Amino acid sequence: MTLFFAAVATHGLRTVLITLVPAHRLPAVLRRGLPHLAPAALAGLIVTALVGHAGPLALVVPGPTHLALAAAGLVAWRFRNPALPVLAAVAVAIVVEVLS
Amino acid sequence: MSITERHTFRGGEVRTAVRDLAPVALGLVPFALLIGVTGARSAAGGGTAVLSSVLLLGGSAQMTALTLLAGGAASGAVIATVAVVNARFLLYSAALEPHFRDQPTWFRWLAPHFVVDPTYAMVSRRLDALADPAAFRRYWLVGGGGLALAWIAMTAAGALLAPVLPASAALTVAAPAMFLAMLVPQLKQRTGRRAAAVAGVVAAVAATLPHGLGLLAAIVTGVLVTTLTDRSAS
Repeated sequence: MTLFFAAVATHGLRTVLITLVPAHRLPAVLRRGLPHLAPAALAGLIVTALVGHAGPLALVVPGPTHLALAAAGLVAWRFRNPALPVLAAVAVAIVVEVLS
Repeated sequence: MSITERHTFRGGEVRTAVRDLAPVALGLVPFALLIGVTGARSAAGGGTAVLSSVLLLGGSAQMTALTLLAGGAASGAVIATVAVVNARFLLYSAALEPHFRDQPTWFRWLAPHFVVDPTYAMVSRRLDALADPAAFRRYWLVGGGGLALAWIAMTAAGALLAPVLPASAALTVAAPAMFLAMLVPQLKQRTGRRAAAVAGVVAAVAATLPHGLGLLAAIVTGVLVTTLTDRSAS
């Protein structure tokens, strides 16, 4: 039952600015910010996954995840296929685990 | 538009959605497996993990809910925490609203269930091609529905395979690698680089905040700073 009510709350967050208060009625300054949402959200998700709960110091202390994501970044920059960076990151993570 | 053209167009969107979905689903496999494994190895149970995939469809909120449920947290605390973790969906919905505006009522009420990080990123790369409401609807149902089915199936697989799956960093690195693959094309624009840089710095500094608040702060700050400093828009 707890999961059901959590799902109702989540669906509310997903629908409120689509169905109940459409976003085109939002102030212009807020609408101007929406195109910048994707890069901000993706960067936030990546850094959050990288540092975990350790804080900013985790960014400068290299580990297997840093190496895997660096490889993924290079592959993403070079190739347009979005599957290749994932495969590169997983391969590097497995190699580092095997070697260590 | 002729019947032939219409069929070609429809096929095009479905094919595009499948083509966009395939690498995304592949990247999410380890994360979904991890959620199934986490549920099965905790007091929450594998069935609860799969149910959370059906009901919540959001990895970070599912991990949070499973951890709290396994720890015996009160229902109110679980619901409130999940809502905070998923608060970014409010922003995604606001950005996607123009595509939902001219849709049928059933679609506007039910289809937002597929609003989640990967689907938002998929659509944000194809805004121009999906201007037609019917085209967007077909793309969204195939892409979002396919993602949900794959996510649920992989969570179930994780719950079933929990006794034999080893603990590996490969399970945790795939999701951020997939987000990185989606981010890199957006860095070609100066505003994209600025939004990503600001959000990244704030995410690192605020990482110790509980319940995903650091991520939310990062997104909001990245968007705000870029909007306020974007002279091309004024």
